[in-house]
Amino acid sequence: MSKTISRRGLVLGGTGLAAASGLGLAAPAIAQSDPIRIGWLAALTGPSSAPAIGFNRGVAWATETLNAAGGVKGRKVEIVTRDTQGDPTKAVNATQEMISQLKVHAIWGPTNSGESLATTAIMARGKMPNIHPCVVNSLIDPKKYPNAFRIAPSNIQWDDAVRGYTLTIAKARKVAVIGDTTGYGVTAANDSAAGFQKDGAEVVYKANIDATQPDMTPDMLRARNAGAEAIVIWSVSTGMIARMLNTRAKMGWDVPFIGHPSLSSGEIGQLIERPENWKKVYCIGYRSCSYDANGKLPPRSEELVQRLSGKVNLQDTLFWWVACGIDAVNIIADAVKETGSSSSDAIIRHWNTLKGWPGYYGEYSYTPEDHNGYPGKDVVMSDASSGRNGTFALAPGYG
Amino acid sequence: MLASILASGLAVGAIYALIGITYNTMYATSRVMSFTAGQLGMLGGVFGSLFMLRLGLPLLPALVLTLACCALVGVATEFVAVRPVLKSLDQHLYVLSTLALALMIQHATALEWSTEPQPFPKLLGIGDGIWDEKYWLPVAACAATILGLEFLYRRTLVGRAFLAVAEDNFAARALGLPERNLRIASYALAGAIGALAGFAGGQLLLAFFANGALLNFYGFVPVALGGLGNNRGAVIGGILLGLFQQAANFMVGGIFSSVAVFAMFILVLLAAPQGMFGAPAARRV
Repeated sequence: MSKTISRRGLVLGGTGLAAASGLGLAAPAIAQSDPIRIGWLAALTGPSSAPAIGFNRGVAWATETLNAAGGVKGRKVEIVTRDTQGDPTKAVNATQEMISQLKVHAIWGPTNSGESLATTAIMARGKMPNIHPCVVNSLIDPKKYPNAFRIAPSNIQWDDAVRGYTLTIAKARKVAVIGDTTGYGVTAANDSAAGFQKDGAEVVYKANIDATQPDMTPDMLRARNAGAEAIVIWSVSTGMIARMLNTRAKMGWDVPFIGHPSLSSGEIGQLIERPENWKKVYCIGYRSCSYDANGKLPPRSEELVQRLSGKVNLQDTLFWWVACGIDAVNIIADAVKETGSSSSDAIIRHWNTLKGWPGYYGEYSYTPEDHNGYPGKDVVMSDASSGRNGTFALAPGYG
Repeated sequence: MLASILASGLAVGAIYALIGITYNTMYATSRVMSFTAGQLGMLGGVFGSLFMLRLGLPLLPALVLTLACCALVGVATEFVAVRPVLKSLDQHLYVLSTLALALMIQHATALEWSTEPQPFPKLLGIGDGIWDEKYWLPVAACAATILGLEFLYRRTLVGRAFLAVAEDNFAARALGLPERNLRIASYALAGAIGALAGFAGGQLLLAFFANGALLNFYGFVPVALGGLGNNRGAVIGGILLGLFQQAANFMVGGIFSSVAVFAMFILVLLAAPQGMFGAPAARRV
């Protein structure tokens, strides 16, 4: 049976189609099939690229896993990556491109605070759902930046964990607080010293040391003579930390070092004169990425390690970077799945209701008033020299 | 504490002195203060670590290769940053050209080597405590360099030709001395001296790209203190600087020690603008 299309039919059909478009009937059909575009601002090259390379492995794995399972309600997840090289200017340009040209549905990153300080206000103006792992406290302010959510601890949480371990578990009441001479080192050391004093501890020595200073004996001697029972370190300079550890060993002083995650950097392992110089050093870590006395990670982390086995290399990165990258993609995908929409408002509204959302790196909770989602209790101290596939042993003293 | 101040002060002082001599050696034949001097010291540590730890070479071949590589960098400095601006020395364009080259060397090292300090191997394994080789090796290298330069300048024809060019390059050229080749040779020599500073001080400073700026800065102080072009003045100025800096580290702490060093530096220059051992320049009228 054949049918011919009459002119009247064509006109009626065309009018009907136009009317349907005007009423918005066609739009949802397109929106529900187009991919969920996630902007990924990653410093994949340049001097501070190690974290983003780790995060990126998690991002790639999570995306592949989601898409292999059919996507989110039939929509594929598409990652739009821009390499910012750790440069705030490049991060700003990439952010603007993502918002105005690429029309992404949410942005993950940047992954360092310098870039994030430059991009946060731009994303807020564009009402772009943004999730990032940067620690600087001022980056999260639900009134100024209602779109920005933190997926990792803040500096305050790091500080609390270090102080808690020093005072409660190491039972040191007299501390030496040492930072480097960078802006971060000075601010972090000052905040830390103020926190210790507020909690009734005695800061017997406080110093900011030039990271290129070849001999750390003067500062270590002053700290010892002042009666320090623990040395609290706020620095990313592995050279400075290694020199201090070597000096501690030469002085025959067994004072514990407690502080910044850089204390566990593999670079320190190469710079210390003897492996035992790295003992009694405890750095900030995370419960989900710490193994117990039996060498076991928490069950959910063990499950992830099994799933990643043979697919994602964990030997030259940190487990938390990979796990956090996975969580970032999943938490965006989950918002679209739960709300059935990839609009900015829907994603932000959904995140504001999360309570104990089960990620691999942590369980995140947000409210409209608090966008610091990482649970402070899960920030723990690790044995800095115990690195194994990006995970660390819990520092002694945890039950 | 005194022993620690002496050990580490003499060691860093000797490194600063060697960088000061590097400045002087380049200055002597070109009248150019090349700000690549500190970078040559930094490269001495980086090449030493590269050849010994990464490539597994024994000490002597690694040392020779390090000196040769830095000598080449010295020669490249002459071609790239010095020769083009020699005609306009009075405009001090060399400040820009040598600083630009120094920055390029530093950034290239950061990109190709590492932005984190890398280990430097034990060279001889002799000594412990304040007699550790990391303290006395720079002093020994400085002494060897001074003796070597004295021999070169006083006992060899090439050395005397260097002195002739340094004294009056127009007269030297008129006498038929190959001024350009001698200048290239002096830049190669400066490269090797800078490399020796970084190599001998590698265990103290580590193989770290950021050492270049530090050595540029602190290596310049002995030159200014000792008098421009005066190697003996640079050695004495360097050793005094190292000792004062370490004493200030012990007495007032890291950040304030830098303030103390530069306060003293300014005071000395106010009292003796030509440096402690430099003579006021005579001007022919």
